[in-house]
Amino acid sequence: MSRAPRVAAALVTASALALAGCSGSASSGASSSSDGKVTITYSNFISNGGNEANLTKIVDAFEAANPDITVKVTTLPYADYFTALQTDLAGGTAADVFDMEYAGYAALQSSGVLAPLDGVDGAAYKPSLLDAYQTDGTQYALPSSFSTVVLFYNKALFDAAGVSYPTSSWTWADEKAAAEKLTNASAGVWGDYQPISYYEFYKAVAQAGGSFLSKDGKKAAFNDAAGKAAAQWLVGKSGTVMPTTEQGAGTADFDKNLFTAGKLAMWHSGSWMFGVVGQQPFGWDVAVEPGDTTKASALFSNAVGVSATSAHKEAAQKWAQFLTSSPTTVSVRLDAGWELPPTSDESALASYLTKGTPANRQAVFDSLDAVALAPSIGDNQTKMQDVVSEKLTEAAAGRLTVQQALDQAETEVNALLG
Amino acid sequence: MPRLSRPRAVLLWVVLALGALAMFFPFWWTVVTSLTSGAGLSSTPAIVPADPSWAGYAELFRRTPFARVVLNSAGLAVTTVVVQIVTSSLAAYVFARIEFPGRQVVFTAYLVTMMIPMQVLLVPLFVQMKTWGLVDTYLGVLLPGVASVFGIFLLRQAMSTVPRELDEAATIDGAGHLRIFGMVVMPLVRPAVATFAVFSFMSSWNSFLWPLVILRSAELKTLPLALASLVGQYSTRWDVLMAGSVVSVLPMLALYLVAQRHIIQGIAGTGLK
Amino acid sequence: MTALAAPAATLERTAAPRGRRRRYPWPVIIGFLAPSAVPLVLFVYIPMVRAGWISLHKWNLISPMTWVGLRNYTDLLADPSTRAAFGHTLEYVAGYLPLVLIGGLALALALNQPLRGRTALRGIYFLPVITSWIAVALVWRWLLNPSVGVVNQVLGALGIDGPGWWADPAWAMPSVIIASAWKDLGFVMVILLAGLQSIGEDVVEAAVLDGAGSWRRLWSITIPLLSPSIFFVVVISLINGFQVFDQVYAMTGGGPAGSSEVVVQQVYDLTFHYAHAGQGAALSWMLFVVILAITVVQMWGQRRWVHDA
Repeated sequence: MSRAPRVAAALVTASALALAGCSGSASSGASSSSDGKVTITYSNFISNGGNEANLTKIVDAFEAANPDITVKVTTLPYADYFTALQTDLAGGTAADVFDMEYAGYAALQSSGVLAPLDGVDGAAYKPSLLDAYQTDGTQYALPSSFSTVVLFYNKALFDAAGVSYPTSSWTWADEKAAAEKLTNASAGVWGDYQPISYYEFYKAVAQAGGSFLSKDGKKAAFNDAAGKAAAQWLVGKSGTVMPTTEQGAGTADFDKNLFTAGKLAMWHSGSWMFGVVGQQPFGWDVAVEPGDTTKASALFSNAVGVSATSAHKEAAQKWAQFLTSSPTTVSVRLDAGWELPPTSDESALASYLTKGTPANRQAVFDSLDAVALAPSIGDNQTKMQDVVSEKLTEAAAGRLTVQQALDQAETEVNALLG
Repeated sequence: MPRLSRPRAVLLWVVLALGALAMFFPFWWTVVTSLTSGAGLSSTPAIVPADPSWAGYAELFRRTPFARVVLNSAGLAVTTVVVQIVTSSLAAYVFARIEFPGRQVVFTAYLVTMMIPMQVLLVPLFVQMKTWGLVDTYLGVLLPGVASVFGIFLLRQAMSTVPRELDEAATIDGAGHLRIFGMVVMPLVRPAVATFAVFSFMSSWNSFLWPLVILRSAELKTLPLALASLVGQYSTRWDVLMAGSVVSVLPMLALYLVAQRHIIQGIAGTGLK
Repeated sequence: MTALAAPAATLERTAAPRGRRRRYPWPVIIGFLAPSAVPLVLFVYIPMVRAGWISLHKWNLISPMTWVGLRNYTDLLADPSTRAAFGHTLEYVAGYLPLVLIGGLALALALNQPLRGRTALRGIYFLPVITSWIAVALVWRWLLNPSVGVVNQVLGALGIDGPGWWADPAWAMPSVIIASAWKDLGFVMVILLAGLQSIGEDVVEAAVLDGAGSWRRLWSITIPLLSPSIFFVVVISLINGFQVFDQVYAMTGGGPAGSSEVVVQQVYDLTFHYAHAGQGAALSWMLFVVILAITVVQMWGQRRWVHDA
């Protein structure tokens, strides 16, 4: 009952006033002093959980190059960042520069909280990533990183089962056959793991030759043969070649733990996990995800925007550009094994390929050849994602048939679109 | 309390001890997990860690500015406790000891403030704090919680059991309400005040959502915010997180044990009975 | 005060002196209440009214608000997930309240006995209260794991086929209730222990001299004297029970299949995840009315069983 003595109120005592004296600096956004120096604020989640020092390196380099600008960084955990960001936007206290995900871009842009960014040197960015943050030809945010989802595999388990390693030419059928051979329930070894979620589903629909939304984006299009194949593909793994939630004990990251414990042969996960998994005694590598009738990979990207209410838009944009495209950022990100910088400079990225385990880092870039972009629908984005994930989870638990799950998800998604 | 016969006392003790074991077990598992390094959390932990490691604790102190956040949290919690005891006991005295028309209505109006979820007040309260320039200040964290209806209610219930004859005697001696409050009633409700102090400290020490939105500067952040930042987007070092929650429990446990002594002394010390 | 006078003084409600006209000490009343009343108005009432204003708008927190009148309320009332959330919340309260009340009372009475190691026992029973849900929820998921959890292994050893707990829609809410009761038992115990301290031993001993049996003593002496504390625990537990959120969020996330989704979780999701801050505010006001109604009934009913001034 930790919330029992809850918000009430009271008398402002001397001690409370004394505490106010040692408060932090001005809350909202920028402040400028008389000598022309400006301080801008940057609110982020991308550095939380291990990359804080790497972000500091980038900030230091920026401040050295721009002595009249100081960047004040606030770092929040991913799980809480968006609650804080929305409260800030509602209160008009958003940082001058703030992080966002691609999935949230459309809602932010249409709400008018992002300042248009003019005069960005587009040549520094991968064009496809830069374009993702344009609306009606205007740039509203700058990509700060990207990752793709690939197929991780445990070499020792493949060797032991006498199965040949996955290649970029694998299809679902190959993956399924291998997963069945690799699963060894008595030893607690599972053949495959792929989250049963919206993000896996929309991609699987594309791999099966379908599309999650109709061409005009106004209707759900996944309740067809391709969608059914995709749902079946995900749901069918659960409990056969892949542990159910209860069999995995159910922490959010149990798939990672299963893989690093050497009990998982194949794992669909993102390139952001390379550093987390690191060197393992069993040896592991990655391959481009298998497709069905066609290849389709998921591309994730984060971005930064400049607040439309910022008092120092020019300085803020300078920082946003530096953070996303400077050579310092590119080298810091590559050296740290942080998510990849969105740079167009292929030669800089080349060093990434030789950074050690996994050996086949080329798969990260090969995945970009056939990307299925996640549908982005604005305000109802999160609700749509939750609905699809929940219905598929119900099918995996056997409480709905695949067809029922798709029917219900289609109805609800159409309601959200309409 | 009448003493139990010996066999009954033994039986009761055994039942209580078994219950305590069951109560303690989940906490013990968090301790075990905090000492279990690295992976292996995909299965349930052992009763005793096979290979205990302090790495989780070392990593905790490396990843968080621990001294700083503990100091921030402690300062806020102590201030909250002191202020809440003052404001709550004054109000509780009125509700328990002074008859006036509309007392029940006013008291209900107080209780009403506990019935709206904090989650929905977050945005309006934040906007208000912003207009007063209190975003990213300790005062902004403290203000919404300087008094507590929970405390007022708890102390009111305690004060209403203090025999009326005592105030009447004091009134005849010429004492005003302030003296009756301070010299007669407050000493008699010390167990309740000590109990409230524990809960008041706890709620401030654990509070998360409001500090999350109102505090920006790293140097102002509190312990729960620091612990939350240990939960990663893609993976979490559970040993570090569990170490953090074990460490954050200790001050509250110490406070409870100290307060418990006060609860007993509160009675013994009055010389009333 | 003699031993025998004490119960009489406390049990018979001291009648307010009628007949002579009372003069109320308004300066004291206002002066003592102001330090809490003023901030309550500023930091709860005004934001509450603002939330009410928000509830009449369509708002995603970031764009300007648009007036929709009562549509948020009618939409919510028409939405089956609202009814489901209220149903789950009620289920939680109905399961949780008796568990912590009876358990906490038994524990308080037992640990009020002069037993060896009483302080340590009280400390252990209090320990769950101060632990954080983020850690404890994970542990409870392990304990209640349907296939490998300790609880089902123990049940299996007793020949009982354990349920699916948090993985089964029918058992998800009971799982949350059990974990919550475990965590809050110590809270009730501590409040009631403090209440028991203010009941003098002499009162109870007097009843022993009367030859009252131990059950009768409990029902006719101890519980009536403890009733202000019990009343407090009931009111607080109900108010908090209806606002249950943290443990559900941490243990089941509202699942499986929304089977443990509670009202405050929907408020949070609507406000911060689903860009419907107006609906979130409307739902809060609906919850508020429900809690208020129940509390008013309790305040009215307390005269029948709570012995205080």
